Order: sequence, then C-alpha cells, then structure tokens
Amino acid sequence: MAGCTGGDGTDTATDSPTDTEGDAMGEDTATPEGEVEIPEVGGTYNTVTSSPVDTLNPLFNTEAGAGTLIGYALDMGYTFGPGNEQIPQLYELTTDDGGKVWTGKVRENLQFGGDYGQVTAEDFVYLVQEVHKSDWAATSATSSWPETTTITQTGEFEFQIELESANLLYPATYDPLMYPIPKELLEPYVAEEDSQGLQEDQELLNLEFTGNLGAYTLEEWNRSSGQTYTRNEDYYMQEATDINQLFENAPYFETLESRVVQEQASRLGALETGETDYASVPPERVEEFDGMDNVNVYLQPQPYNEVCVYNMRENGWNAGPGNLFREKKFRQGLGCAVDKQALVEGVFRGYANVEYTWQPRWSKWYPSDADVPEYGTGDLYGQEATQSRIQEAIDNVEYDYSYDGQGRLLNPEGDQCTLTLYHSAGQNTERSMAEFIAQEFERNAGIVVEVNAIQGSQFSNQYWQQEIPENADELEWSKGAYNAGPRDEATSKNAWDMTVVFGLNTYPLNPLTAEVFFDKDSFYNPYGYVPSWDAPSLWEEANNAESTEELQEVLSEIFVKVAEDQPMGMLAFPSSRAGYAADIVGPQENFFSGWDFPAWYREE
Amino acid sequence: MGMEWYIVRRVAWAAIVTFIIVTITWGLMTAAPNPQVQAAVTQAAMDGENPAAAEERMEAQLQLDRPLHVRFMDYVVGVYTLEWGWSNTRNEPVTDALVTALYFTVQYSVPWTILTVLIGPIVGVYSAANQYSWRDHAATGLAFFGYAIPNFFFGIILLLIFGVQLEWIPIVYQTDVPVFSVQNVIQLTIPIFVLVTGSIGAIMRVSRNEAAEYANADFVKTAKAKGVSTYRIYARHVIRPTMVPLSTTMVGYLLAIFTGSSLLVEVVFGIPGLGRTLYDAVVAQDTNLVLGSTLFFTFVATIGNLLQDLVYTVLDPRISFEDR
Repeated sequence: MAGCTGGDGTDTATDSPTDTEGDAMGEDTATPEGEVEIPEVGGTYNTVTSSPVDTLNPLFNTEAGAGTLIGYALDMGYTFGPGNEQIPQLYELTTDDGGKVWTGKVRENLQFGGDYGQVTAEDFVYLVQEVHKSDWAATSATSSWPETTTITQTGEFEFQIELESANLLYPATYDPLMYPIPKELLEPYVAEEDSQGLQEDQELLNLEFTGNLGAYTLEEWNRSSGQTYTRNEDYYMQEATDINQLFENAPYFETLESRVVQEQASRLGALETGETDYASVPPERVEEFDGMDNVNVYLQPQPYNEVCVYNMRENGWNAGPGNLFREKKFRQGLGCAVDKQALVEGVFRGYANVEYTWQPRWSKWYPSDADVPEYGTGDLYGQEATQSRIQEAIDNVEYDYSYDGQGRLLNPEGDQCTLTLYHSAGQNTERSMAEFIAQEFERNAGIVVEVNAIQGSQFSNQYWQQEIPENADELEWSKGAYNAGPRDEATSKNAWDMTVVFGLNTYPLNPLTAEVFFDKDSFYNPYGYVPSWDAPSLWEEANNAESTEELQEVLSEIFVKVAEDQPMGMLAFPSSRAGYAADIVGPQENFFSGWDFPAWYREE
Repeated sequence: MGMEWYIVRRVAWAAIVTFIIVTITWGLMTAAPNPQVQAAVTQAAMDGENPAAAEERMEAQLQLDRPLHVRFMDYVVGVYTLEWGWSNTRNEPVTDALVTALYFTVQYSVPWTILTVLIGPIVGVYSAANQYSWRDHAATGLAFFGYAIPNFFFGIILLLIFGVQLEWIPIVYQTDVPVFSVQNVIQLTIPIFVLVTGSIGAIMRVSRNEAAEYANADFVKTAKAKGVSTYRIYARHVIRPTMVPLSTTMVGYLLAIFTGSSLLVEVVFGIPGLGRTLYDAVVAQDTNLVLGSTLFFTFVATIGNLLQDLVYTVLDPRISFEDR
C-alpha cells in the first residue's frame, strides 16, 4: 500500500503533509505508452454497496452511490482524470473567450438503444431547455441550469452554453455535466408536463435506452439485493484509445454484479474470501487487510473535511451571556486547543491529513506559497497558545468571563463554561473525534464539553436549519432554512453549541463553489458566520478572474483569510480506504481513481 | 347460529381494528415531515431558488398538495382495493415490493417455523424424560443460550466462522439461485439455525415443565406398571396433554409461517426480505409501502387472534362461544 502511514504510529510529521496525500492529483500516474497488451475479456467483477438505492432514473437521482450504479451503464458528458485533466466522454467542453461561452462537441459514434438512433446535440439541448429548465419536471439537475445560463444547438454535434459571467472553472462545477436522454423518450412527458410519469418511466428506471453509451448493460435490478450488468461489446469508448489504449476492447469483464450487503462485517468478510472485488475498509482494519495476499487497500483522498462547527447564532454558546464564538480571537484560541496531528493519528489511525484551511494541501488551489497559520500544530497548539487568545477575546467582550487559577474558563456567574457537542449516532469514528475534542477543550481551553449523539436528520431539522422568522421580509436577508436571516434574528428550533455531524465539501477542483460557506448572507450559513475580512469583494474578484494565475492569487488570499478567521474548527481530511482484490488492475491512490473504470481488468 | 354469529362479529371487528390502526399509522406518517420535500427545499436553498416554491412544486409532484381528507379517502379506498400505490424509495409498485420481499422471506420463514414447532416440544419432552441428567442440562443450556444470545451477534459470529474462516457458506446472499437447490440450502442453513436456536427456547422450557408435571401422574405410573417403554409413555401419553397450553402459541407460529421475518438476521445475512423492506420504508418514510404492509400485518394479526380463540373451543369443548 503506497502512501500508508497508519497503524504503527511512526509518522510524527507536524507541519509537512502526511504520506496519505502522496500523489493525490495523480500527476505522477504512469499512462500506458507504446504497445499495450490488451487483456482478455472474461469473468465477473463483483462489488458491494451498504444500502439499496432509491432510483436508477438518471434524471432524478441525487445519490452518489446510485450515480456509480447508473455510471456502469451510462456515461456522462465528461469526467476528470489524473492531473485534473478534463476527459471528454460523450462531449468535450472548451472555451476560447475566458469562460463565458463554452462549446460542447459531441462524439459522432454515440447510439441510443432501441429505435432512438444516434445521439446528437439536439438531445442534450432539448433535455436542458424542455426538462431541466422547466418549472414542472424538478429534475435533480434543475439547479444547474438557471435562467441566466442559455444553451443552444449550433450544429448536429455541437452545442453552446453561454453563462451570465465568465467562469474559468465551469466544467469543474459539474453544472454542464449531462446524461444523454433520447428526445423522443422525453417528448410525451414534456407535452403532458408529467413529472410523475417521467420519474416512473420504465425505460429510464431500468436504463433500457443506453445503447452503446455505457461500458455495461443493466440486465436486472432487484430493489433490495442489487444489480446485474453484462458487458457492452459496442461500448463507444473503444474508439477513444487516444485517451487510454486499454479502452480498445473495454470493458474486460463479461458481467458485473453489485450486491447490497448492509452489514459491514459481512462486506469485509466477502472481501477477505474473494466474494467481492471491492469493499470500503474501516481505519482500524486497514493494516490487517493490506497484509492479506489477496487484498490491496488504496488510500484515496476525498474532498470532504471534518469540522467542528460553532454556533454563532443567537442560540449558540449556552455557557453564559453573549456568544464568545463570534470573537475571532476566541475561535483562534479554540483552534489552538486541538492537536490535529494527534487527532489524525489517534482517531483516524493516520489515514487522514490535517486541515488548516478550506482546501486540502494537495489541491492546486492550496496557498502553498503563502503563510497559512497552522492552528493546532507546533507553537499554535497547547494551553498557553489557547488561553492567551481566549483571554484576549474575553477582555474584548462586555461580560465578565475569566480564567481561574486552575485554568478553567469561568462565566460571569463563576461557573465553569460548559458546552455541548453533537455527533452522529452510531458513527464510531465521529464519536471518538467528538470525545477527543472534548478532552482537548477541557485540557487546553478549560471548557467542559458534553458529547451528545443524535441522528443526522434530527440534527438537521431541529438544530441546523433555522425557523423562518415571521418578519422575514423586513430582515436584511432571509434565504431559506439554512440562512433564515442575520444571526441575531434567525435561530434554529433548538439551541446548540457545537457539532461535528456534518463534513462539508471543500471543492478542490472548483473552490469558487465554496463561497457559499463564507458569506454571511449566502444560502448556506446555519452557523451564523460573519467574516471579519472582506469576503464579498474577494470572492467577486475570484469570480471575475480572467486567468488561472489571477484566480490562483485571489484564492490564495481567500484561503489565508479563512485560516486566520477560523470560521469553524477545521480539523482533518480523512482518506477513503478502498479495499480491492489484489488481482484487479486499475485502482489508483489518487483523487481521480475510477475515471477509467471500463479499462480495469483482472490479472491472470 | 351462536358460533357463526360470533365469527361474523369478530371478522367485522377485525375490519374495524384494521381501519383504526391504518388510520393512526397514516396520521403519524402524514404528521411527520416528508424527507423528499425537505430535500427539495434544501436543494433550492442551496441554489438560490425560492424554497417555498420548491416545496410547493415537490408537494404537487408527490400529490401532497391535496386536502387531507381527500388524501385520506384516496388512501383508504386504495388500501381496500389493493391499489397500494407507488413506492417512492424503491420506484416500483408497492405490491411488487411486498411480493418480492415475501418471496425471499418465505424461503427461510417456512423451514424456521416448521423446525421450531417440531424441535421445541420434542427437546422439551426429552429433557423432562431425562430430568436433572446431563442431557437435561445440555438441552436447557442450549435453550437458554439460543434465547439469550442476540441473533444478529450469533449470526455474525457464525458467518465469520463458516463463511470467512472455513468458507463453507457464501457471505454475500445469492438471490439468483433456484429456491430448491443445494446452493440455496447451503446459504440458508446458518440463518435458519440462528433463528431456530433463538425461538425454540421458550417452547422447549414450557413443554419441559408441562411434561415434568405428568412424569409422576397416575396414568404414567399405570403405563409403567403395564411395562410400556419410557419412549412410548412420553411419545404417546405425556406429549399430548403437554401440547394443550402450547397450542395457542403454535397457532401463532403457524399463522406467521410465511410472514415471520427477522430484520436483524436479514441485515446480517443480506436477505432482501420483508423485515428489511419494511424497516427501510419506515426509515425513509415511504408512506405507501409502510401503509400497505401495515394493513397486511394488522389483518393477519387480527384474524390470527380470532383463529386462536376458535382453536380453544376445538381443544377444550368446555369453552363455548354460543352465548357470547
């Protein structure tokens, strides 16, 4: 297992990236050159999932797991490969005016199944104009196609997308990523404006129209137990040997079976005995599985972080009057209270990387050249670092908080400050993380933390989302349940202090999307964050950047500001731990592993 | 007339009970926020759309925008005409979902029930016949072990031993093997074993105690004096009176022969049966699927109660419904 640091506790790196980052962008991944031996076709690729999926209808699916299952039989427009390179599948998106107008060139060898014939630009344009942009269909891609974005057909195999304002990273937003759906299939539903019918359409649900558009063809979908696919011998990417020579006769398995195995012990048992070729491995068993001859564990970086979110709204900070979370110095103090390296090694067994700002270190947008304060590491960790900052913060507020001689933070009534921290019920790693934070806060900040378990949906409904105030129209802003108004005006149904229930996406390919987390009046501010820096101007600058260099510069500044302001406790980026049968050739230890799944094969 | 009238009244009562339970379930489900509507609202909020409009759109899509009484009437009519609607979490008709789940449940439920009903009393009587011997202790120990150990834990342990270590059984449940095939027998052996050991404990203990009561009864002594073998005494004379108090339990077991399902065992062994289907439906608030199945199980339970009551009169002629 390349890049493994976990298990033996020997990795004591402090301010250098841990090895799990390795070649996260896949830039060093060797691409086959010269004559490549084409593997034999045969056998079955077995995989397991932990829960059944609601739908395989490409227009209405919103689950990542179901997306993978749909993807076996139906490609999307494009994907990203090692080095963040756009890999054209059904179409290629290019721009020559700095990102305002994007041209999509559709491959000419794409065929729908049945009588639907060839895929043309018209199918995509019709799908967007008549379905995604309609007010009746409510597909999962509706939000990707606002009124201000227009799509037009400019040739039989060419369409153009025009944006309201230029966006150099438009493909990386995934907004222009489309499934191919036959126009003729959609027409009756469009005529009737029948969303229900579209959702229940058997051809869509069972992926019966996919022709040569996917590596495999869905044969059977048993709702509770899984799917069976067979090899699609006419797969259109067989002509894309310029991308990967192994596509020449892809895919290389006669059948693909995905089974629902809800119990983790059963999934791991199946991986051990070879009944499945893939299963996710929990941190505590990575070493054991990687030591097996028939299993390889791949550590793959992923974009979701682990954060300790502070409630800066009116019903946050229930340890006394005021809300100390609103003080930048106080948040910096809390940032100094948690030893991130110990967290990564102790809770995540080393299969994670510490987080200092809203980008993983391997992202090309990480401000490597700038001076990012690394809270929770080195000098910026410990009781002195924590309490000196908290002292500055409490000196700055009108209430009489103080430290006693034993390093306990007392509220104006003289009681030690006690906060609650919520974590998802049943998530062992998350519970351990919450308990670690509680210990660290008590030791370094002198704050007692009570750790509470809660169901994610319950936390979302009753704590994370706010109630819309009755005078919403009169507020400076009110943008729905996730930011129902300014933090003094809108609060959730129940009070809360801190949570680690939700990990958030840091968007390493397209950090512009992360703006939503750092604007006080965006549509996503459950925690009531008000930046102490000029966030709107900087984000605007980033959005209007005309070159990659300019964008890089602005984003660097933004991520340094985020690190300084500590809008939440940014803790770690856990890696995915993917266990594969050792004879499967194809998986990689980078962010893009799986982009060439049809070219994977079993080594004889 | 008396018995027939009693049955008619009980069946009518069963219909009323079913209606009440289905209504309560519907009320609870309707009162809870719909996760699909919530998801749409969240999506809209994230994307800068009007959440209220998104909510309206999704409610219209799910037909939740109609007045409550209309939705309720539609539902009741649908329920009793077996038009149970579309499962939103499985994207197939509710009846298809239940039939598919039943197909897999029956495969372990039938042998589980039969083995429980057969083995429980036999082991109990055997234990009584060998009271306080090592055989009795072994049987009692087995019964308590099966009763005490949680099924899901026992299942995982056996799966690790026989699936992972010995590789005698598959770990991933195969849905595509024929029902009557060696592969199916192999993959169902452990789940059925776990369920049987979990359920025979109570029956075994009751039958042991009942049988022990008759060990020194006059008719047993008489039989012994006549030179009847111990085996024959227990098989012919003791087991009969022992079964009387157990009979009603047996009726319950037999009634559920096709529908008795175990969520935890289905989860551990990956069997896509009724338990998992219904649990997933409840968690995901798949109203149609939950309600369709609630009706089904409520009906089975109420009719089962009736049958149990009727069995009393058959077993014990002193009980009469004539004047009830």
